[in-house]
Amino acid sequence: MPAAQETIRQVHKIDVDQYKYGFETKIETEKAPKGLNEETIRFISERKRESGWMLEWRLQAYRRWLQMQEPRWARLSYTEINFQDYYYYAAPKSQIEPKSLDKVDPELLATYEKLGIPLKEQEILTGVRKQGERSELDSNIYASDRVAVDAVFDSVSVITTFKEELARAGVIFCSISEAVRKHSELVKKYLGSVVPIADNFYAALNSAVFTDGSFVYVPKNVRCPMELSTYFRINERNTGQFERTLIIADEGAYVSYLEGCTAPQRDENQLHAAVVELIALEDAEIKYSTVQNWYPGDKEGRGGIYNFVTKRGDCRGNNSKISWTQVETGSAITWKYPSCLLRGDNSRGHFYSIAVANGHQQIDSGTKMVHLGRNTSSRIISKGISAGFSENTYRGQVTAHRRAANARNFTQCDSLLIGNDCGAHTVPYIEAKNATAQFEHEATTSKISEDHLFYVMQRGIQEEEAIALIINGFVKEVIQELPMEFAVEAQKLIGISLEGSVG
Amino acid sequence: MTVSEKVALTQAETEIINNFIALKGKLPQRGLLLETARKAAMDAFYKHGLPSRRMENWHYTDMRTQLICIAPYSSKSGGALAAPLLSRSIVLGLINGQAVIPSHKAGKKMPATPFGALLANGEAELPQDFANDNVIAQLNTALVSDGWKLDFPENTSSDKIIELQNVQNGAQSHVRFPVIIGSNANVMIIERQIGNDEESFISSVSNLDISEGAQVSWIIIRTRGMTSTELNQFNARLGKNVALKLYIINAGSRFLRQEINVNLDGMGADFQLRGINLLSGKTHTDTTMVVRHLAKDTTSTEIIRNVAIDEARGVFQGMIRVAKEAQKTDASMICNSLILSDSAEFDTKPELEIFADDVACGHGATVAEIDRDQLFYLMARGIPEAQARAMLVKAFVGELIEGFDRKEMGEVLHILLDQWLQVHI
Amino acid sequence: MLEIKNLYARIGETEIIRGLDLKIEDGEVAAVMGPNGSGKSTLSYILAGSKNYKITKGDILYNGQSILGINAAERAVLGIFLAFQYPMEIPGVAMMEFLKVGMNAQRKARKEPALNVSEFLKHVKAMAARLEMDMSMLKRPLNVGFSGGEKKRAEILQMVLLNPKFCVLDETDSGLDVDALKTVAEGVNALRASDRSFLVITHYQRLLDYIVPDTVHVLYKGRIIKSGDKSLASYLEQNGYTDIIGEPI
Repeated sequence: MPAAQETIRQVHKIDVDQYKYGFETKIETEKAPKGLNEETIRFISERKRESGWMLEWRLQAYRRWLQMQEPRWARLSYTEINFQDYYYYAAPKSQIEPKSLDKVDPELLATYEKLGIPLKEQEILTGVRKQGERSELDSNIYASDRVAVDAVFDSVSVITTFKEELARAGVIFCSISEAVRKHSELVKKYLGSVVPIADNFYAALNSAVFTDGSFVYVPKNVRCPMELSTYFRINERNTGQFERTLIIADEGAYVSYLEGCTAPQRDENQLHAAVVELIALEDAEIKYSTVQNWYPGDKEGRGGIYNFVTKRGDCRGNNSKISWTQVETGSAITWKYPSCLLRGDNSRGHFYSIAVANGHQQIDSGTKMVHLGRNTSSRIISKGISAGFSENTYRGQVTAHRRAANARNFTQCDSLLIGNDCGAHTVPYIEAKNATAQFEHEATTSKISEDHLFYVMQRGIQEEEAIALIINGFVKEVIQELPMEFAVEAQKLIGISLEGSVG
Repeated sequence: MTVSEKVALTQAETEIINNFIALKGKLPQRGLLLETARKAAMDAFYKHGLPSRRMENWHYTDMRTQLICIAPYSSKSGGALAAPLLSRSIVLGLINGQAVIPSHKAGKKMPATPFGALLANGEAELPQDFANDNVIAQLNTALVSDGWKLDFPENTSSDKIIELQNVQNGAQSHVRFPVIIGSNANVMIIERQIGNDEESFISSVSNLDISEGAQVSWIIIRTRGMTSTELNQFNARLGKNVALKLYIINAGSRFLRQEINVNLDGMGADFQLRGINLLSGKTHTDTTMVVRHLAKDTTSTEIIRNVAIDEARGVFQGMIRVAKEAQKTDASMICNSLILSDSAEFDTKPELEIFADDVACGHGATVAEIDRDQLFYLMARGIPEAQARAMLVKAFVGELIEGFDRKEMGEVLHILLDQWLQVHI
Repeated sequence: MLEIKNLYARIGETEIIRGLDLKIEDGEVAAVMGPNGSGKSTLSYILAGSKNYKITKGDILYNGQSILGINAAERAVLGIFLAFQYPMEIPGVAMMEFLKVGMNAQRKARKEPALNVSEFLKHVKAMAARLEMDMSMLKRPLNVGFSGGEKKRAEILQMVLLNPKFCVLDETDSGLDVDALKTVAEGVNALRASDRSFLVITHYQRLLDYIVPDTVHVLYKGRIIKSGDKSLASYLEQNGYTDIIGEPI
């Protein structure tokens, strides 16, 4: 008991202001006029040099959005968002679209350098880049340490690295704006095919005003030769970021994609409403990993990002596989349910999540596994940690439809509470509509066991480190799903998020 | 849903409201308090209407679409009480919403008063305000006509078992069971919801207030015909060191919403729920439970087993809430479902809502089909498939009956289970 | 090495240790025996610094210094090691990682340089082989899914690697078959040295056939009621506790 009290005391001392990415880049920007109307959308479409069909698509989404209501079923409380109070487009003056490296504003390059994101292929190739620490004890060493990056700064993609090398393998990796222009047939075919424009309030908003994001197409039977990643940075004040990502793995293709994000420390709340669509055709596999570290607000709960995200993967072909791995440590508000539609026979969907809430953060996150095809299976591993004054909710749905014979699901959902001013909640929806479905769901909520702590300390490990060790163990199952380099980052990030209690 | 966006009244809503207007001055009541309570209840119903799936607590049970029309109110009094399940129990009955005064001596000695008489004397209590989605309390308060009030003094011992019988043969009724259980009392109550195959509409509310150290077993057995619509609410407040065991067996009703609200108010209180849902035909059976751990060292275990065949649809929503004060809570909830036909469905929503850090809480849920290997094994021993299936289903739900602390009651439940299996599997 | 003086300790309202005196010299192997519920495991937890017990009176001196004011980790750094009767299962933490973190934490506290990883690995491999442990076990999460015997070997492996000065073995023999018992005892015996002492807590004499004690103490109702040499253990084995305690148990 006393050890727990000690922990609680330390958690109370936690200062959420430990956010390491809170700096602001001073750069001249061009913005759309504040607020949202059809003119704003025309402005965005024009800046993106889109053709008519794209503008029509956006306007249609906007008109649907006007008729929709903000969802309130999540366990989140925040003052109403005034959507007219945001800028829907902001781009560095020098950068309306991606450029070659030597033409990118040095201020922007410096920003990414400061964030630890390498954009200079030369440096990456010659190994200047600092690599994750490795030791003989680590068994899972990631094979390749080269990662292609699409860097998105407010509303534009700054640069996409390794494009040529990827192109040689037939892989298209570029900003979505570029894809709309250069690969319009693919975009027309797949955009909105997983998340329809009026799917939900935020998805409709995104469809109307999305500014940038990444586009990936991996052709038939191609295994993408490197990790792809997008790094999102919100810089400008009062600016909403509405990224749109579309990833298509054609028959027999494989791609692993990583997403990272940060924002400066500001007193007001910033809005981020993304849509990510994944399509896996027959025998294809997509692995999507996120380390979400948006600014969480200060210790009083002021500021921070409002993060409303619709992520959905469509296992469209037989034997396809989509797996979502997420580490959520940032944002003031998180509303996010990366999901899988298991349409193809024998398709598989995975969801691995760590959600850490501290300070006044509120998280309502989880997944949906919709079993539609035959012999489909899904697996959900969710680890939630609540500290400070936070609220952390897991919300997950597993549905086996009438024709989804032999659907299988396994769900393990564990919550850890640190301190007595926070909440941990679990809301699963388990829906079985045929006789051959087999679901297993397990959830637990507890605190760090005194007995475990004593055992670890008896080996000479001080309390802070002992708690850190136990927490690392608690989240391990998810961490090991991340690509190696992300895993190291993620583990550090969890440590920082709970700093004061877990060292 | 705010009034401004309220959609047109459904047929069932209109019938309920007209019914209330038609009954004005006919329902037993005396005094302003009861009159305002009834009016407030109907106002709340008029304002919020029947709950739709847009309300989180009714996610799987949309009453606006489920309840097409309702059985009319009628003052006919046909039918008779059934023989008690246990020979030594005392039957307190209701036939079509009217209390049947027991003629035998033992019954007269029971601490029981017909609720209708209390309403008529102005001695009954009714709630005065209602949550938006608490349609059961709204309807029951507005329309309640009778029931039984039970009052067990301190240290009451357990030799007499009370069987509450709510017999409904067609038509409509709204009944209420306020129950006060004194400290260290030890009581067992069977609540039977029965009736013939005529279409009926019933609301039934039980409110238990259980004082320190009392031990209570409450058994709800529902074998009503497949045309009935029933709204049932079981509310209990548990004082210090109270142990409440609630058993629910559902094997009937076209539409059922069984709500269970248990507040563990006193230190050391324990709640045990064992629920069996045997779902067939076109039934829609919804069990929605909220257990609130409000004090230190409280414990609860809920185990639900479901079998769904035909086009049956079952729902279990279970929520364990642990308040900040309820340190050292130990709570677990398990819901296992067996779906035996492709047109049957079972939806489970087991929730945890936890605000205290020194707790051990968990829930588990499984959905499965009959184990094919086990079935094969039994058939390889010469047991015909239907029988083998019945055996496995019986084993699945029978396990919950095994734990029953009164042997004779367990036997009765086994017979009930066998009958259902014989007809349906 | 260790001196316990007139110790009283309780868990909640229950007093478990009631006036316990015990002295263990450098290099001594002391056995504490006693019937169930006499306070044997409590004694081991108290020595290791569990916060579940409250010391109400008396003192524990380790090399002449009281250790009552310092926590479990600090005691471990001073060289006190407890081989648990029921080792904890810690999901997600590989035994190897645990050993490395533990050893480095102790080294850091003693201002010694951090481990050389490859030497450490070599050392671990050698020790694991001596205890007949499979290296693959070291990569599995700590104690999770280990059999009773595997857990006990893992405890002794930790003891050997952490190189403590005062080792408490709490019912290390329980759950072990004879072969495993011999292996574990060999591991312990190899550590016997003039500057290292052991407190072996056991219910049966069996373990003491393999780890031969210098002194044997009988613990009953929270105090030492009889002390002697190893022959006391054999006596207990043959005659039981009844006549030493002076009442039937």
